[in-house]
Amino acid sequence: MSHAELDPVYAPPFPEGALPVLRNPQLRKNVAHAIDVIQAKRGRLVAEKTDWQELRTAGSAIRAHALENLDYYLEQFEERCTAAGGHVHWAVDAAEARQIILNLLREEKASEVIKIKTMTSAEIQLNPFLETAGVKVFETDLAEIILQLGQEEPSHIVVPALHINRSQVREIFARSMGLKNLSDDPHALTAAARTYLRQKFLTIPTAISGANFLIAETGGVAVVESEGNGRMCLTLPRTMITVAGIEKVLPRYQDLEVMLQVLARSATGERMNPYTSLWTGVVPGDGPQRFYVVLLDNGRSRMLRRPVERQTLKCIRCAACMNACPVYRQTGGHAYGSVYPGPIGAILTPQLMELKHAQTLPYASSLCGACYEVCPVKINIPEVLLELRAQVTDKERKQTLRFFDPLYLGLRMANLLFARAWRFHLAQRFGRIGLGLFTRKDGWIHSLPFLGAKWTQTRDLRGLPQQTFHEWWAARERGAK
Amino acid sequence: MSAAPTSRQRILAGIRSATAHLHPAGSAQETPVLPRDYVRRGSLSRDACLERMIERLREYDAEVVECSPGEIPAAIAAQLAQSGRKRFVAPEGLPAAWLADGVEWKIDHGLSTEEIEEAEGVVTAAFCGVAESGTITLHHSAAEGRRVLSLLPDWHLCVLRASQVVEALPEYFDRCAAPPALVTFISGPSATADIEMTRIKGVHGPRFLHVILVRDAS
Repeated sequence: MSHAELDPVYAPPFPEGALPVLRNPQLRKNVAHAIDVIQAKRGRLVAEKTDWQELRTAGSAIRAHALENLDYYLEQFEERCTAAGGHVHWAVDAAEARQIILNLLREEKASEVIKIKTMTSAEIQLNPFLETAGVKVFETDLAEIILQLGQEEPSHIVVPALHINRSQVREIFARSMGLKNLSDDPHALTAAARTYLRQKFLTIPTAISGANFLIAETGGVAVVESEGNGRMCLTLPRTMITVAGIEKVLPRYQDLEVMLQVLARSATGERMNPYTSLWTGVVPGDGPQRFYVVLLDNGRSRMLRRPVERQTLKCIRCAACMNACPVYRQTGGHAYGSVYPGPIGAILTPQLMELKHAQTLPYASSLCGACYEVCPVKINIPEVLLELRAQVTDKERKQTLRFFDPLYLGLRMANLLFARAWRFHLAQRFGRIGLGLFTRKDGWIHSLPFLGAKWTQTRDLRGLPQQTFHEWWAARERGAK
Repeated sequence: MSAAPTSRQRILAGIRSATAHLHPAGSAQETPVLPRDYVRRGSLSRDACLERMIERLREYDAEVVECSPGEIPAAIAAQLAQSGRKRFVAPEGLPAAWLADGVEWKIDHGLSTEEIEEAEGVVTAAFCGVAESGTITLHHSAAEGRRVLSLLPDWHLCVLRASQVVEALPEYFDRCAAPPALVTFISGPSATADIEMTRIKGVHGPRFLHVILVRDAS
């Protein structure tokens, strides 16, 4: 299966990245099926919450407050986590985070590591880095195993393998686990994964996790999951390394009463996910006795400056926005060329890249607003999309090359024509004659040459009417006299 | 590590310069008044709340039986017998009367992972139950056991008292005198929907969750 590389630096522009999916009916069917199931479940469970809007308002306020006082809460988290026996490291960028993690693994003399699903580790491309350094990485989330063994890329942040159907999973497992007679029943496939991982959980002494939330009040870390692979990794190993974006902080333990209520409903359409674990530093006799947290900036602190962009960091990674997005539903996740797809990816990725890459993502939206409506922490994604579009345009305006850009030239021309009434009327006359050559009897233009083809490739254009309103009005006046 | 303080300072300085204009007074505000107009207390009667808890647990395919406080040992014995399992582990602080005869018990005075892995089931107490979502919270006290204890065995029997059951999640947080160092929220047996969104019970955590709801005075 071909797809875009999920590194925004090398990924093709969105319209190009979307093509392989649009041409693959099986892939589109898999994505649409998964989305329909989650959406139906989410809709039912959100409808039964009479206080849903109040929860959203509270969730938004808690996250906004945490971000506005991020330095304060990060220092509090560090102090309390350290007091509880944890070690806190800070990483300015992806490279530093990778190196810190590798150094910790070398101190532990770890040649193998088990991992709980973490999008942050995918963001910093941790797995390939560790493999190159000679550390064998075992993903333990079922979807992540499917991707790792099938050498696939994640296409969703909650159900990363939703683009792969059961027979494809069977093929991957049969090949990589040596199980020729494996059936494509999801029960059998899940059982195969359980067996494959059990020994790894019991024998590999080092684990890596992400964090759903960091609790400043206690120095604790929360991981939200379904399968129990997270609990295995949080309980059995000797050493735990958690990598978390600096924005993941919540001020108080009690803030979870809002977050846990909205997260599972938004993410998987459940009243509550099967397992949520919280631990604080090192607890003697229970779980890993060495615990490290790597706090990752990687462009986040820059995003705090202005209120419009800052709200991007309120995100709790529930993926409700991509499930609701009509664009994501058609293209799936790989088209976005980033581990963060969908509407949140379209605003997060370009900002993480300082708009040097992923500049087409803010345009990967119809601005319908469905993402804003479902967002449990009220991120106004369309507002951020528009702001980023403006920034992309501003950047382009400063380039000398713009003089050769057809769009730029076209707009200059329009500017010239619209500036004087006589120029505009003249343009209308010439336009009518010119376009008349392409207008069919039904009054529509189905195909234009050159630049005009960009429009007519995907949609028809209404031909210009024989008479403009001004002409009709003038003729009417004359007739009256 | 010598590079760490530098990165720490750089990140914090970056955050401060980005957010300085939000704090003209210069210091962060720890306890602002944030809107919390969501449901903080349930509205069901006591009985309806317990019924809701049972209904939600059963929706997760958990088995639920009820008993009076005096019947706990008998109820546990019946559940163990029905399970057909023989080898069980128990937390250090589980009441001795709960250790039913006729099966093999290992008490966790520091059991090895291998010993826990060999067990076919575990019996624990709980900290709280949240009816709205059918959630059981463990704070891993002496009677609730270490985290690994309620994780490796395939069969988990949890004894929950009616007085521990609240209706809405915020009521659980009200019951926490101080935030716990360790907590596990359990909502049904382990599950996945990663393959075509088909919910499959039992991946790595216990495949079977049984709950004894004790009707104590509440």
